[in-house]
Amino acid sequence: MFARLLSGAVLGIDARLIEVQCDVSGGLPLFHVVGLPEKEVSESRERIRSAIKNSGLSFPAGRITANLAPADLRKEGVGFDVPIAAAILIASSQVAVPKARYLLIGELALNGQIRGVRGVLPIAVVASGSVDGMVVPRENAVEAALATDAPVYPVTTLRDLVAFLNGETGIEPLRVDREKLLRCEPPPIGRDLAEVRGQVQAKRALEVAAAGGHNLLMVGPPGAGKSLLARCLPDLLPPLTFEEALEVTKIYSSAGLLEGSASLVRRRPFRAPHQTISYAGMVGGGHGVPGPGEISLAHHGVLFLDELPEFDRRVLETLRQPLEDRTILLSRAGVSVRYPASFTLAAAMNPCPCGYLGDSMQPCRCSLQDIRRYRRRLSGPFLDRIDLFVEVPRLSPDELLAARGGTESERVKARVTEARESQWARLRGEPGCFSNAQLDGERLDAYCELESAAKSLLKRAVTRFGLSARAHVRIVRVARTIADLEGAEKLSAEHVAEAVQYRAAGESLGT
Amino acid sequence: MSNDGRISGRTAEESACRFLRARGYEVVARNWRTIRGEVDIVARDGSTLVFVEVKSRSRPGFGGPEAAVHPAKQRRLVAAARDFLGRTGCRLPVRFDVVAFLGGEPRLYRDAFQVDETCSPDS
Repeated sequence: MFARLLSGAVLGIDARLIEVQCDVSGGLPLFHVVGLPEKEVSESRERIRSAIKNSGLSFPAGRITANLAPADLRKEGVGFDVPIAAAILIASSQVAVPKARYLLIGELALNGQIRGVRGVLPIAVVASGSVDGMVVPRENAVEAALATDAPVYPVTTLRDLVAFLNGETGIEPLRVDREKLLRCEPPPIGRDLAEVRGQVQAKRALEVAAAGGHNLLMVGPPGAGKSLLARCLPDLLPPLTFEEALEVTKIYSSAGLLEGSASLVRRRPFRAPHQTISYAGMVGGGHGVPGPGEISLAHHGVLFLDELPEFDRRVLETLRQPLEDRTILLSRAGVSVRYPASFTLAAAMNPCPCGYLGDSMQPCRCSLQDIRRYRRRLSGPFLDRIDLFVEVPRLSPDELLAARGGTESERVKARVTEARESQWARLRGEPGCFSNAQLDGERLDAYCELESAAKSLLKRAVTRFGLSARAHVRIVRVARTIADLEGAEKLSAEHVAEAVQYRAAGESLGT
Repeated sequence: MSNDGRISGRTAEESACRFLRARGYEVVARNWRTIRGEVDIVARDGSTLVFVEVKSRSRPGFGGPEAAVHPAKQRRLVAAARDFLGRTGCRLPVRFDVVAFLGGEPRLYRDAFQVDETCSPDS
């Protein structure tokens, strides 16, 4: 007997519908899975056999061939367990041929339990409109229901599934209230700005970075509060819009990082990888279909690199292209995947290897050569992509002993959110463009009108610091954000002056 | 193999046949052998052709009788089954069962193993 069902395969953050075909015929007991299965798909045979037997059903004798079509696409993951098992049961007449077009997905445990899998959200997006319903593991049900209007049937065991397909028991389709999910705001997780003593300038730079999505580099001696400042960043950022949230959730679904049933990522991601990260960990990779790296997991959020010069130079250089293009194309033999990577880079470093260069209290012990070597780890092109350079100096004794407390983040967040809202209003007609940091070419000219005093100031700054075309563009973007924070329409000389000053602080680093 | 073992093996096959018949199997052949292997019992269970290996041990230990159907033995059973199918032209679905005796009590292991892709010359 022959049976066929629908399932899906993830490819990056996209998916393809897969037809699972199964044929049970006479002959020696042999169970094949064909259609370019990876190791974990071939291994599904043992799980399926045990799960069927342990669910009180019988595994048919004879020869079984399961095919995953289209057969030229590499199949990964354990999500085919459930559709293959169901197809076998249909082909051996233990389950009725379903009257509706269902999409099935899920991993089987040996005892017949159905376990959650990764990538259900992208598959639901693709399946939407071409299926009558989706049967998914309970863990993935919310995720699926977010993306499709087709009914989503959560199942927990193979027995449940069989009873459902045979029409013996009904399953209440799961519905999610998208509006309600968006309304509930996640509680703060990071630190409050009020915990950082002093550092007025750095806090201001942090606010500008949050308001426009600009890249930020903090330079200062150990213990000045760089890391603490960075940890404040997540709570300064406005919540994700639904479109942004769906994009981020797709990436996390594809990476299998969605936690429990909290299936829509509401918070802007904050990723802080360690210095030892490999380049595959940073930009994405891994065996088979490349998975997303930290830069994609930080999409629409913040990638924080503490102790920047300690990162492998090769890893930092791989960031150059995604910092500019906000997307990364990972190409491997036979497969290439594009992941979005629109993140704000926040980084921190010491001014020199010992950390005390320019410090008012402690002498620096480094030779000129040491300092040069240290700074050479950051290339010019990499530093050129940073919008805001800010010094985070050691605190004076008075500042150190000053009382701290209360909350500051909330007020800053309100200003940031207002600035972001004016950006969203301005960029409504520009698909895929959400913040000032993404302005380029014509958009930059159209939305950043400079007053004449601002123009001449900018001209002088370009000559004085010998700024590249890219640096020039970045100054204008930052000035736009500063104006947005003030609610100003045009960019004034003060806006440009502040933006230039963030840039100028970095010019000494480039040598 | 010692003479004692042979006799107890024959007795075991006898009682295995009775045991299987009681469960609705229809015995088709016994001690079916070719140059590549041999099968103790060939039977029909409904529309399935079953090749049965009978194993007996007088004493527990060594993992019990069912553990004695090791990969090499499985390959011989599969080879014999293949010859049987070839010669009879039978197109029924096939299953391999093991009947194990431990202290005189028969136990049936349905679908004891499957053909491994790696050990089958044709598939």
